[in-house]
Amino acid sequence: MLGKRRIYSERWWNKKKLWILLSFSIFLILVRISKGSFYRDIYYFLSTPFWPGQSQKEILLKSYEQELFATLSQLEKDNQRLRELLSLQRVSQEDKINASVISRQTGSWWRILILNKGSRDGVEIGDVVVGPGGLLGVIDNISFLTSSVKLITSTDSKLGVWTQRENIHGLLIGQGNDSPLLTFYLKEIDVKVGDFVFSSPASTLLPANLPIGIIETIDKESSPSVIASVKLLANPHAIDWVQILKMRI
Amino acid sequence: MRLRSKLNFSVLSFLIIPIMIFWNPQFLSLMGVQPYWPLFWLLPWAIIYGPMNGLFSGIFLGLVLDALNNDYHSQIPGLVICGIWFGRLSVSRDSINKFKFGLLTSMGTLICGLVYFSQIILFSSNLKSFYLFSFAIKNIFSQVFLTGILAPIFCSWLFLLFDNRKLEVNKFRNPTST
Repeated sequence: MLGKRRIYSERWWNKKKLWILLSFSIFLILVRISKGSFYRDIYYFLSTPFWPGQSQKEILLKSYEQELFATLSQLEKDNQRLRELLSLQRVSQEDKINASVISRQTGSWWRILILNKGSRDGVEIGDVVVGPGGLLGVIDNISFLTSSVKLITSTDSKLGVWTQRENIHGLLIGQGNDSPLLTFYLKEIDVKVGDFVFSSPASTLLPANLPIGIIETIDKESSPSVIASVKLLANPHAIDWVQILKMRI
Repeated sequence: MRLRSKLNFSVLSFLIIPIMIFWNPQFLSLMGVQPYWPLFWLLPWAIIYGPMNGLFSGIFLGLVLDALNNDYHSQIPGLVICGIWFGRLSVSRDSINKFKFGLLTSMGTLICGLVYFSQIILFSSNLKSFYLFSFAIKNIFSQVFLTGILAPIFCSWLFLLFDNRKLEVNKFRNPTST
C-alpha cells in the first residue's frame, strides 16, 4: 500500500520547470495582448540618459524654420507670378524701404505719421506702410525728404479686407480711434471674435494678405450688415521703424 | 534794427506752430491729444490787432494746418470764428488777465473741435457710429482742458511780445506821438 503511493516530488504542480514554462507562456501572451507596450515603457526608462539633448532640439527647430522659410519664399514667388499674370497689385523684395518715424500724431483728429524717407528715396503716393505686426497705413503725401502716412485708424481711411477663417470680405473704415470698424457686405455670415483680418486680394490699393488685426467685438444686430470692431496688430503709438512697400500694378 | 528783429519774431512765432504740431511733445499731451497750438498764437494776435486781422490770421493758419494734415475736412471755419470773436475782444483788452486767456482758448478749442467734428459727421455718412462719438468727446474735452491749462503761459507771453511790437511800430511810424 505504501509502495503504491506517489512520492511528493512526482506530482505535476510540484514540478518547477512546468511552472517556469507556464509563467513564460503567460508573459508572452500578455506581451502579445499589450502589443509590446510593456517593453516600450521599459525602454523609455532605460533610454532616458541617452535622449537627444537641447542642442539636437535646436538643430531640428532651425531645420524646421529653414524649411518653413523656403516654403514661404516659394509660395511668395508663386503668388507674385500669379498676381503678375492677373495684373494685380504686387510687392517685390527689392521694393521695400526702411524708414523711421520722425513725427507722430496718433491721438487727436489727425492720425498721421511722418517718415524720414521721401521722393529722393523713391517713395510715392499710394505706397503701403507696414510695421511690426502688420499694416499701418498708406503714403498720402510726400516731400523731397519726408513722407506722410495716413493711418488706417484715420477717419478718411477705407480698405478692402477679408477674414482669414472663412474668407469673408468687408470694408475696414477708420473711426479716428484705435479700433477701426469692419463692415461686412452680407448679413448672414460666420465671423467670430478672434478671427484674423487681412488685406483683401481683391483690393486695388494694397498687396494681398497683409495682416491687419483681430476681430474684437461683433454687432450682428446692426442693419443692413454685420459690423465688427478690429484691434490692430501694429501699434502706431509705439512704432519707431516701419517698412514702405512700393506698389506696382 | 531793433524793430526788424521784433518783426522777425512775429513771423517766427507763426512759423513755429506747425513745428510744434509735428513735434507733438508727449509731456504736453493728455490721453495722446496735444493742445490746440494755433489758438495760443491767434488769441493774443487777434486781441491786439482786431477782428479783421483775426479773420485773416484764422484763414492763414487754417490754410497752413489743412495743408499739413492733407485732410478732407478743414480747420479754417473754426479758426475764422475764433479769430473774429477774439478780435472783437480787443475793445476790452485791458480787462483780459491770465485766467481769461485760459477760459477764452478753452472755449475757442471747443468751438474749433465742434466745427471740425460736425464736418466729419456731415461729409462722412458712413461714420455715424457710437465709437466715433465717444472718440470725439474724449478728443474735444482733452484738448479743451489741455489748451486752457497751458494758455496762461503761452498766450500771456505772446501777448506781451505782440503788444510791445505794436507800440514800437507805432513809435517808429509816428515818432512825435506820446
